Amino acid sequence: MQTNIIYSIAKKEIMDNVRNKWIILVAAMFAILTLVVSYFGSLGTSGWQDLGMTISGMTELGSFLISIVAFMLGYATIIGEIERGSMSSLLSLSANRFEIVVGKWLGLAAVLCFTIFVGYGIAGMVIALNVSNVDFLEYLAFIGLTMLFGLVFLTVAICFSSIFTKRSTALGGAIFLWFLFNIILPIVFFGLLMTTIDLNNITINTTINAPDWYFVLNLFNPISVYSTVITMAIGPVQSSTGAGFITNPSWYSTGLLVSVLLIWIIVFFTLAVWRFQRNDI
Amino acid sequence: MASQTVKCPSCKSILTIMGEPGEKVPITCPSCQQQGVFTIPKENQVPPSLTQQTAIEVSGLRKTYNHVPAVNNVSFCVNKGEIFGFLGPNGAGKTTTIKAILDLIHADAGTITINGIDVRTKGKQAKRYVGYMPEKVAFYDNLTALQNMNFYAEIKHASKQDCIDLINELGLGDTGKKRVGKFSKGMLQRLGMARALLGNPPILILDEPSGGLDPRGVVLIRDKILEMKKKGTTIFVSSHILSEIQEICDRVGIINKGVLVAQDSVEGLSKKLNLKPQMNITVDKLSASIEDAVRKLPGVDHVQGKGNTLEIICDGAMKAKVILAITNAGAIIQNLQTKEPSLEEVFMRYTEA
Repeated sequence: MQTNIIYSIAKKEIMDNVRNKWIILVAAMFAILTLVVSYFGSLGTSGWQDLGMTISGMTELGSFLISIVAFMLGYATIIGEIERGSMSSLLSLSANRFEIVVGKWLGLAAVLCFTIFVGYGIAGMVIALNVSNVDFLEYLAFIGLTMLFGLVFLTVAICFSSIFTKRSTALGGAIFLWFLFNIILPIVFFGLLMTTIDLNNITINTTINAPDWYFVLNLFNPISVYSTVITMAIGPVQSSTGAGFITNPSWYSTGLLVSVLLIWIIVFFTLAVWRFQRNDI
Repeated sequence: MASQTVKCPSCKSILTIMGEPGEKVPITCPSCQQQGVFTIPKENQVPPSLTQQTAIEVSGLRKTYNHVPAVNNVSFCVNKGEIFGFLGPNGAGKTTTIKAILDLIHADAGTITINGIDVRTKGKQAKRYVGYMPEKVAFYDNLTALQNMNFYAEIKHASKQDCIDLINELGLGDTGKKRVGKFSKGMLQRLGMARALLGNPPILILDEPSGGLDPRGVVLIRDKILEMKKKGTTIFVSSHILSEIQEICDRVGIINKGVLVAQDSVEGLSKKLNLKPQMNITVDKLSASIEDAVRKLPGVDHVQGKGNTLEIICDGAMKAKVILAITNAGAIIQNLQTKEPSLEEVFMRYTEA
């Protein structure tokens, strides 16, 4: 493994995406959406909310958007280069496949994290100038967790890019996965949970004591892990996964949830490398 | 720590130098006291020359896609310093073979070495010797030509000045700052050649280098190939356009339907196939007696009259006797054309059926 090759490839990915300009657009979109959510987001009132409220407003919207952006960044990075023909030149230059995947991952991760940081950062500063109680540390933790969450989807996208032999199927796979994590799994898990609960006894204020298997299942959906970890680390978040009125079990901890996100990254990264090593270009 | 053996420039004795890659080591020759500085090459730097006489050796290569063999038991070798033409119709397995040489695809069987180094087990080390121009030249469209070249140069440890020089040499001087996405096919092809030449590698592998080029581009690439050969570069070039290969190749290999059907020099191949030159002789007035006179000669295979022109296929040694026979029969020769057997014919013979 040669670090200078990895560095060159990472740098190239960054240059390529910066020149592409869409990443600047995405950062601007994050900033504007955050400001809109912060200003108009709460029912009944208007005006700036503090950062904590903005975070709860942005978690769900952010998980939708960031998973899309991460998928868009990553799904074509390997298969796209193979299809266009530039991968064969890169491999002929004595760069090995592991170095290529690491370099691409680092470069795209930098682009994604930078976009999240700039987008949320600008919005955070605008909000901080307009409200009195500002907890910057909490907001930074939010940005950090959001980056980690984005990296999970980026790694999955890169993995798809190395598994699928066509750019279009990689895109299809990414879209399916987006629906799976954002819509299908929450509905299925929640539906399964509902079958175990006597609905007649539920009022709006009931706290549901969900069984452990429900929480174990949710660990397999990075989107629920993300919104749960933000609730636990920062504050309550309304979410379609039901995290709002379901109390989390005592064995859920920030450390566990962060580790789960890290495991996602490690598993899919390894899978991407393993698969790419065996690909015919 | 790497060790490198060098020859003393004045007394030619062999010295061994130890040092870190990239380090400049001051040395004094023990026999003639000549002093100098030697830079230990970096790990990835292109080695200046081949140490083996066989530049590329392919033996028993087999690759199957979905149970259909793309190449089957292909064996050949490319000698140091020669231009080896790799010929075959479209889909014959040329690109598959080249990709296997560069370890881009995983062969089902066979071994491939570059300068004696196995590409499967020591791919990184072996590929340092090679500059490659793929059939489908592609770059990063959002970056300029120079940015693209700088990226590849970084990986290959070539200098930024090399990139500028190569872009100029390939006639792209004024487009270095243009986005590659806006390049025409011909410009891409030239930039692809420039990329292959980065770091001055001792072996060039060119897959259909003049595909899609205008005539001037074809000449430019051909001249570049000949120039590199003069510098001692070993060149492996594939093509289905035979005329351009015939003029520059020392040896050719012909592949058809995944099987290597011939491997020899162009003359050697035509001799093996017993290919004969064709003469078209136009006379003032053609008659049956003239045709008969020619037909009677030994070594004449084919005689056919068309208007006042005789088409004759005969042994090379019989050409003068054919002309003599025609003039002796009373005809006056007005025009004479001879066509030597071309690679095209060799190729057609080997790839037909």
